[in-house]
Amino acid sequence: MMISLKRMNAILVKDFKDFSRNLAVSTVLILPIGLGIMYGQTGPNSIEANFLLINLAFVMVATFVQCCLIAEEKEKNTLRGLMLSPASTAEIIGGKCLLTFILTMLTVIITIFFTDYRPANLGVIAVAFILSALFYIAFGTLLGLFSKSVLEASVIVMPVVTVFSLGSFLPAIVDQYPIAKIGMYLPNIQLIELAVKVEAGGGFSNVLTELLIIFAWVVVLFLLTRVIYRKKMVD
Amino acid sequence: MTLQFINAEKRIHDFMIFPSFNLTVSFGKAVAIYSSVNVREQLMEVLLEKIRLSAGEVQIAGDSYNKSKQLLGFLFLNQGLYERLSIEEMIRFTKQLYTSKISIEDTMHAVQLHSKRKVKIKELSYSERRRMQLACLLMQNPSYYIFEEADQNMDLESKRIFLTILQGLKEQGKGVLILTGNMESAVTAADEVYRLDDNGLHSIQTRDAVEDQSAAEESSISAESVQPVRFEKIPSKVNDKIVLFDPPEIDYIESNEGQSFLHIKGESFSTNFTLNELEDRLLPFGFFRCHRSYIVNLQKVREVITWTRNSYSLVLDDMEKSTIPLSKTKMIELKEMLGL
Repeated sequence: MMISLKRMNAILVKDFKDFSRNLAVSTVLILPIGLGIMYGQTGPNSIEANFLLINLAFVMVATFVQCCLIAEEKEKNTLRGLMLSPASTAEIIGGKCLLTFILTMLTVIITIFFTDYRPANLGVIAVAFILSALFYIAFGTLLGLFSKSVLEASVIVMPVVTVFSLGSFLPAIVDQYPIAKIGMYLPNIQLIELAVKVEAGGGFSNVLTELLIIFAWVVVLFLLTRVIYRKKMVD
Repeated sequence: MTLQFINAEKRIHDFMIFPSFNLTVSFGKAVAIYSSVNVREQLMEVLLEKIRLSAGEVQIAGDSYNKSKQLLGFLFLNQGLYERLSIEEMIRFTKQLYTSKISIEDTMHAVQLHSKRKVKIKELSYSERRRMQLACLLMQNPSYYIFEEADQNMDLESKRIFLTILQGLKEQGKGVLILTGNMESAVTAADEVYRLDDNGLHSIQTRDAVEDQSAAEESSISAESVQPVRFEKIPSKVNDKIVLFDPPEIDYIESNEGQSFLHIKGESFSTNFTLNELEDRLLPFGFFRCHRSYIVNLQKVREVITWTRNSYSLVLDDMEKSTIPLSKTKMIELKEMLGL
């Protein structure tokens, strides 16, 4: 299947204009950045505190925005028009993913800038961030397929936001509740562990397990989204 | 090169939606199917491949439906638009999506939205949105246009724009299929009108010169045999009663499925007379056969609207401001009567 970059770009531009004028959704970008500014004011922070914000930025922007973009197309009855157009599904979803990806990366970078977090090894962290962004976007797409309106989307995304942002505290209680060990394999925790290793001077070879686990999450979510999409859309 | 329904038939369980029918929409022709909402929705679903026909098939240009469905362009009744985009942005997006070569300026002029190009879609009125959807459809430039209730609830200005565009499409050699539940809309917009229901597909009227001629002959014969004294009232059966109406009360008379209906103050009453009989009786009262299936009380006509060079409508001065179609040949007659 040929993917037309022109059409994907058109969808990206359209979604960006639509998104920037939709204050109900676009204001979520302010949340992690605003918190980042406040954290930055209070002096240097621990890695965990920084990554609480970074995970929040990922889930708020990548998952929530992507979910809303898809849900709104359904709610406003515009998806039918897109599906009838020569644009393929890959182009429609691709255009949206691209927009969310750019927004996520921008938000994360700005947040980091304000919190004064300077990773010891930029290359490793960048790869980890890109993989994480893909995971959260795939998750957002999946949730978007389930929700019929923006309202529903913002409700459905709440538990996810809680798990993946506050979940950063999980290591603190893992000694108390052994069952929580399963949670240690979540990509947000893996990202923190990776960051800690990087701060301790680790390179790619040291953090390979963490990267692989996050990558596995991406693959699982991607396949799951594909299956659900087939079920939901082709009827 | 045609869009064809071949022995198309649809039933849901035991319930017949429409029995097998054949219909061809050729290039340069506008065909209207006048039907109930249910039949219209089923037809749309069939065309969108959401549901399958119980029997028969739809062919485009002699090819099976699947291969050439890109040739179809739809104007849905409930179509979404990106409300936060401006008119120009929306049209540009459609142009890029369809890699269309049609000029954005021309399209905006065609639907007369060029003066509002920077206005966001959510600020537009209902009729303007419909025109906006039409603009997007024009950008797609399909070979066949499928209109679902194209001019429902549209204001007069938009309706005129729609009919002008439709005329243009026919001249460009596009095929047009109109699905509607409004007879006036079907008759004004299309060249061929069919009624589709559970009894099948029936031709309602054609703007045939031959038929118009024969109608003219009939009226000349009847003019000779006018009898001076006659019972003037028009009887109509309502339940078990027979109600007699004074001719000046009647707004207009419509023929539907072989039955004549008198329209009086927004209500309709059936009568057993045929339109030809009624025409003979009512001619002295200033009634006028404005269309094969309509007789109008000229006293009640407020406006004569010219949509395009050969489609006209009459707007009445009754409570509903009803519009009724006026055929081209009758327009000439009417002009003579008015002394224009």
